[in-house]
Formats: sequence, structure tokens, C-alpha cells
Amino acid sequence: MLLAFNLPILLMLAWSFTNPTPTLSHYAYLFEVPIYLRVLANTLRIAAITVVCCMALGYPLAYWLRSMTPRRRLLVLTLVVLPFWISILIRTYAWIVILGNNGLVNRALVDLGLLGQPVEILYSELGVIIGTVNVLLPFFVLPLYAAMTQIDERLMQAARSLGATQRTIFWRIFLPLSLPAVAAGAILVFILTLGFYITPAVLGGGRVPMIANAIALLINELPRWELAATISTLLMLAVIGFYFVARWVRSRGTA
Amino acid sequence: MAQPEAPDRGIPLPASPAGSALDRGLGRAERSLVVGLAVLAVIFLMLPVIIVIPMSFSGAQLLTFPPPSLSLRWYDSFFGDPAWLSALLNSVVVALASSVLALILGTLAAYGLVRFRFFGRAVLEANYVAPLIIPPIIAAVALYIVFAQAGLLGSYEGLIIAHTLHSAPYIVLVMTVAIAAFDVRIEQVARSLGASQRVILLRILLPNLAPSVVASWMLAFIVSFDEVILTLFLFGNRETIPKRMFTRLELQIDPTITAIATMLIVFSVAALAVVYLLTRRGGRALLGQAH
Repeated sequence: MLLAFNLPILLMLAWSFTNPTPTLSHYAYLFEVPIYLRVLANTLRIAAITVVCCMALGYPLAYWLRSMTPRRRLLVLTLVVLPFWISILIRTYAWIVILGNNGLVNRALVDLGLLGQPVEILYSELGVIIGTVNVLLPFFVLPLYAAMTQIDERLMQAARSLGATQRTIFWRIFLPLSLPAVAAGAILVFILTLGFYITPAVLGGGRVPMIANAIALLINELPRWELAATISTLLMLAVIGFYFVARWVRSRGTA
Repeated sequence: MAQPEAPDRGIPLPASPAGSALDRGLGRAERSLVVGLAVLAVIFLMLPVIIVIPMSFSGAQLLTFPPPSLSLRWYDSFFGDPAWLSALLNSVVVALASSVLALILGTLAAYGLVRFRFFGRAVLEANYVAPLIIPPIIAAVALYIVFAQAGLLGSYEGLIIAHTLHSAPYIVLVMTVAIAAFDVRIEQVARSLGASQRVILLRILLPNLAPSVVASWMLAFIVSFDEVILTLFLFGNRETIPKRMFTRLELQIDPTITAIATMLIVFSVAALAVVYLLTRRGGRALLGQAH
């Protein structure tokens, strides 16, 4: 099993460096052609925005979960986990229904008189970001919630007994203690966004290319396998690198 | 960094019992903001699921919500279309084969990881779980290049291998937790009574861990059944349900997909419920894991 996974990966590495003789020309080529850099910039921007949105929604959600009674918590946790097990494709598809020109959001905005005519949410970067945040939010919330439950309640009680206000307790004690988990979750969401293929393909309608879509294009349409292998190699190294950073950050947090 | 001390806005002071102290990180205004955002997040997460189900019963060709009329025509158009049905058959065959293979390999790997101490164990464990972190597009490219040379592109064998690699890590995750929780002394007793390693595995460990085994197998089945990217690259002209959904989505808007989506949601929810009942621990292990 290991062999079956590692061997193709290694062969891919080999492809990226050969021409068929050993070379770095594929790597050089990637950095000379502006389109690849633009796709990269695009991907990084989308990933960064996704991370910010996940934090804005995910932190309150994890915090709220922490303060619930066990029964309600189970219910809400189930709701958070449920989409996890429903195909990405289905959730992405549903956003077409919601965001399309004739969709829920646009119709509501037009009916309320806020808009004269529908805006293009679908097939734009905004649509893609809504899709990625929707898919990745549980990945952010669940580890963060797990980390928050580890924070010792007695620290807050001690602070309170020493006269700290609620706000001070949150900003000076709770938030700093939860930050390693936030950082780890943010990195995780970031690296997962980098590899997204379905969401940009469906919600971006081909107008919002991300790295994975470029790879698919190079394999299926052009075909330039060696370039696809090169980009994949770079992406994989980035992902593995970020993953270890995330693990390191998280382990420091729990230590 | 000195902060101005904000006046306490009518929040009851800490004479309260420790049990409710969880709630007291923030003041009341902030608390409603937090709860508001949190509720928004839950709605945001659930919205796609909630929308798709009623849409599948729509009588209209266009995707308007709420549906103007009700009908089962999209279910008809699924079950009446041989292309969808053959995609369904492919999906089931590949998911069954790959999840059983993944179950066997993943369980053995988990057993080895938990029960034996050897050089490079941590590296091996990381490697087993690596396919969860590395984007499927990368595995798809790597396997595509290899399969193209081996003549496996577009074959069932090739796709089953790919899906097995993709779903085995989930099994390794669940089963390592389950096996680690199983008392090693029971195995030691069996061994001292003359049981071989095979007998221990098949007659003692697996029957005792049956809930985890079934749960992890179902997860692997769903993972394979939902997989799009590997299938897209490796299955040539053949289709599975997700692959056909994806290619249809790129072309046009086809409400048949809402019917399939609804059936898959029901299927996933039922499977998740079973998994939940079977193994709290295994489920928790999955949730705790980032991916």
C-alpha cells in the first residue's frame, strides 16, 4: 500500500526534473511564464481570504460550542459535522441554486429593492470563496473547539477572583491561550484551499483558475505532463511544509 | 500593553457556581455578537443541504427556490436514464471493492502501528496518513502518469487501486484508535495459551472490534463513493455518479442532480448515524483529526 502511494509520487518527482535528461528547465519555465504566477497569486489570495472568513465565523462558533450544555452541544456538533460527510460536489452544487442569477440571494436582494438587477455572485471569485469557506469551516471549528475545551477553567476563575473584568479575562487569558489552535487551524485551511479543484471549477465557471485547475488543464487538454508534475511537486512540498508548521504550532499550544 | 478598564456592564459578579462559569468569558453585548456569528456559521454550513432537498421535488426546469410546483420528475429522469444507472453501478462496484481492500490493508497497518515498536514507526504512520493531507489532485497526477505507462487508465483495476489508497488512511485512523483501546493483555493470554498470531487477529481482535471495523468500512465506502478528482483523471470514458454529476455541472444546469444529491444526503446521514452509534470513540478520533 505504501509502495502504491509513494512510488507514483516519486515517479512524478522524477518527471518534474527530467526532460528526459535531468534538468531544472521545467521549474525555470514556470517562473518565466506570467500566467502560472498569476494563477499562483490568485490561489494564494483566495486561500488567505478563506482563512480570514473561517476565523471570523469559526472562532465564535467554537467559543459558543464550549459554553453550551452537553445536549445542545451534541446537536450543534452534529450539525457542524454533518456537511463533512456530504459530498463536496453536492454542497458546491447547492450554492449554484443559492447564488445564481435567479437564485435565492439575488432574488431576495432584488425583491427587497436593494438591487435593480441581479449581481454576478456565481462564476466569480466571491462565489468560489463562499464555496471554499463552506467546505473548510468544519476543518477549522472542530480542532479549535477541541483545543478550547483543554483550556483550564480555573485560570479564568482565578483571574475573576483577582478582580479582572470579563473583557480583560477574554482578551488577556482566553484568547492568547486559544491562539496556537487558531494558527494551526488557519494553516490547515490555507493548505487545504491550495489544493481545491472542484469548487473553483464549478463555482468559478472557469473564470477563477486555481493551481489544481491549471494542473488538470496541463494533463487533460494541453498535454504537458512534465509541467503538471512540476507544479504538483511544488504544491506538495508547500503542503507538507505548512502541515509540519501547523503541527509544530499546535504541539506548542498543548504543551 | 495596558488596556483601559472598561466598566462592567451589568454582568452578575462571580458569586455564581463554577458550572456556569464557562459562560463568563465575555460581557453581554459581546456574547450576543458571538452567538449571532456562531448561529450564522451553523446556518451557513447547513444551507446547501437544506436547499437541495426541496429543490429535488421541484416541477420546474429552472432552479428557482422555493420550487413553483412539486413533482418527482427528476427522480424519474435519474432512474430512467441508462447513463446514470451505469454510473451508479460503477460507483457501487468501485466503492465496494476499494473499501474492502482498504479495510484489510488499513486494519493490518493499524495493528502493526499500534502493537509493534520498530524503527521508523512514526515516519511510517505519517506516511499512512499523508494521503489525507496531500491534495487529491497531486495523487491524481502521479497516478495518471504511472497508469498511463502501465495501461491502467480507464480500467476498473486502476480506479479501485486509486480509491483504496484514498480511503485506507481513514481506516488506519479509526482502527489505530480502536486497537489501542483494546486490552493488549487479552492478546497476551491467548498467545500464552498457544494461539497463533493469525488466530489472535481473526478470532479475538476482529470480533471484539466489530463495531469499529464496520464503521471504518462504511466511512471508506462513502469516501470512495463521493470521490471525484481521482475518478475524473483515471477512469477514462467510464463514469461514476460523482464524475457524471461533475461533468454535467460544467456543461449545464440539470435538476436531476438535485434528486441524486438528495438521495446521497439521505444515504450519508443514515451511514453517519450508524457510524455514530457503532463507535463513539472511532468517530471522535475522526473529528479530532483535522482532515
